[in-house]
Amino acid sequence: MSQDYHRQAPSSPSDTGSALPVRLFFASALGWLMISSVLGLIVSLKLQTPTFMAGCEWFTYGRLEVLQRNAFTYGWIANAIFGVNLWIMSALARFEFKDSWLAVGGWLGWNLALTLGLGAIFLGHLNGYVLLEMPKEVAPALFISFLFAALWPSVAFIRRPTGHVFVSQWYIIGASFVFPVAFGITQLLVLWYPTSGVLQALIHSWFIQNIQLLWIGASAISATYYFISKESGRTISAYYLATVGFWTYFLFAGWTAPASLLGGPIPVWIQSVGVTTALMMLVPAIILGINFFGTLSYSRGFAYAWNNTTLRFVLVGMVSFAVSSALNIVFSTRSLNAVVRFTDFTVGQQQLVNYGFVSMVFFGAAYYILPRVTGSFWPSAKLVHLHFWSCVIGGLGLALHLLICGYPTVNSGVMSYYYIPVIFFVLLQLVGHLAFAINSCVMLFASARNTNDNPHA
Amino acid sequence: MKDFNLILSGIFFTLAASFGGLLISSEVQLGSLGRAPAEEGGPLFPPIETGLAIQGRQVYLELGCVTCHTQQVRPAGQGNDIAKGYGPRPTVARDYVLQTELLLGNHRNGPDLANYGARAKSDDEIHGHLRSPAAGSTMPAYHFLYVVDKNGITQPTERAQALVAYLKSLRIDYNSPEAKLKQ
Repeated sequence: MSQDYHRQAPSSPSDTGSALPVRLFFASALGWLMISSVLGLIVSLKLQTPTFMAGCEWFTYGRLEVLQRNAFTYGWIANAIFGVNLWIMSALARFEFKDSWLAVGGWLGWNLALTLGLGAIFLGHLNGYVLLEMPKEVAPALFISFLFAALWPSVAFIRRPTGHVFVSQWYIIGASFVFPVAFGITQLLVLWYPTSGVLQALIHSWFIQNIQLLWIGASAISATYYFISKESGRTISAYYLATVGFWTYFLFAGWTAPASLLGGPIPVWIQSVGVTTALMMLVPAIILGINFFGTLSYSRGFAYAWNNTTLRFVLVGMVSFAVSSALNIVFSTRSLNAVVRFTDFTVGQQQLVNYGFVSMVFFGAAYYILPRVTGSFWPSAKLVHLHFWSCVIGGLGLALHLLICGYPTVNSGVMSYYYIPVIFFVLLQLVGHLAFAINSCVMLFASARNTNDNPHA
Repeated sequence: MKDFNLILSGIFFTLAASFGGLLISSEVQLGSLGRAPAEEGGPLFPPIETGLAIQGRQVYLELGCVTCHTQQVRPAGQGNDIAKGYGPRPTVARDYVLQTELLLGNHRNGPDLANYGARAKSDDEIHGHLRSPAAGSTMPAYHFLYVVDKNGITQPTERAQALVAYLKSLRIDYNSPEAKLKQ
């Protein structure tokens, strides 16, 4: 049975071929995380004090906010996805990765293209669509680099020596396929050969939902499945439901796109389809909740998870996933959406998904994977704790602040003290990321050190 | 579920289903939408942008204004955009048929601009706001769009003039077959 196979799955890939690209992906992910964190702090300071760095066009709020979002998504999250997906698939499929230079080429191409794209945004060459802001000329390089960087999990799956399959592998294959298709189609129909008028908005919303749910979300779900089973040593609870969860998740996700355009200039029937499918996302959300929380609901399971560094991060991610799924479903209804749309409440929802869920799961994944690909121990347990608590308080505090207080900013006018907690929480995240970066850099770049810390955390 | 081709086919189907169901059907419904007169025999709306306004649209993009400003007015009952004075009627698909790059926006740190051209009183008022936003506003001042001439008088650059022309071109104060102005 696949569960039994998973219980016996190796803790690390069967060869060291994937170690180099995984290390490189994590190193660049860290770099982009730090850049986006600094940009996030500047952006929040500019909201509180609009005159801050206002004299230079390059540092206009509109550009820096776009830079921060793209550095976070295509820098931190994308590189983390490449690394985590490659590592998990290599481990599960016992893949002997002999052509790692191809993945390294993809890593190099992706990060160079991203650097060029962000540089162009900094100089004022940007588009008006979220996550499509980079100039269209950069897109082919990103597309080709993605193929080199991210399709290896599929190769690993095809060439696996055993017939066993674990649920994480489905999500990784899905995520690896969705990004190039959605990115390619959207680039063509929105930027290269633009369709007319509001069709662009519809295509863009379809792209965003696919990227958010089926690339980023699916990769984080895959990692969650893997680590809660691997680290707790237990089979996934109600595993038979996972197939239904997987297919309903992929089937409904793309259709939810119009729910992000409610009240907009698109036909009402399309909006209704979006609302209906957003409500239907309750099915995979419940199944994922049963799988995730059920697996840890054995006697003292949550206590065990809390005392395991990887699972502690993943546990926070699971709670954020549950809350954000519930919020997304509830606030897709027309009456509630009308109240919160365009407000910082929606930014809080994004923060809960991209940081509370996705980033926390990938932080946890890093604590498991990096010692295994570097052969080193985590240099400082104190920095691990600082990272965890700074990110939990900063990341989730920011999400809660925006969810609770974000609505009045537009409806009752901006309060002068509203952005002060934002700055505090963003600063706290920066501190946590710095602790994570120091710890990781020592592992990645310095000579291996042995400490009394447990390398498996 | 162990076969790669089966998984990939299923994923392809799920993507194709949402793409076809939402986007191709929308193209069928809206693809041929064009300009229309407010009344029989009248001028066609939306109006064609002037050259200066097209240049201004580029400045609007370069400065990332779309990060904080939307250009869409929701109908009454789906938000209070009309009650706030953002526009006299909701925006409809026809209002955007001439736009090669849609700037709908999805977040408001500032007001909606779909009908800003009708709200703004004069060029000077818009320049004044760009140069020195009202106290309490989160909008930064765009000093770099202005220069001081040899007489010590602040003058708008060509980019500032283009941006103002674009902002003034943003209007939905005309009847559309799908959304009439209230009398």
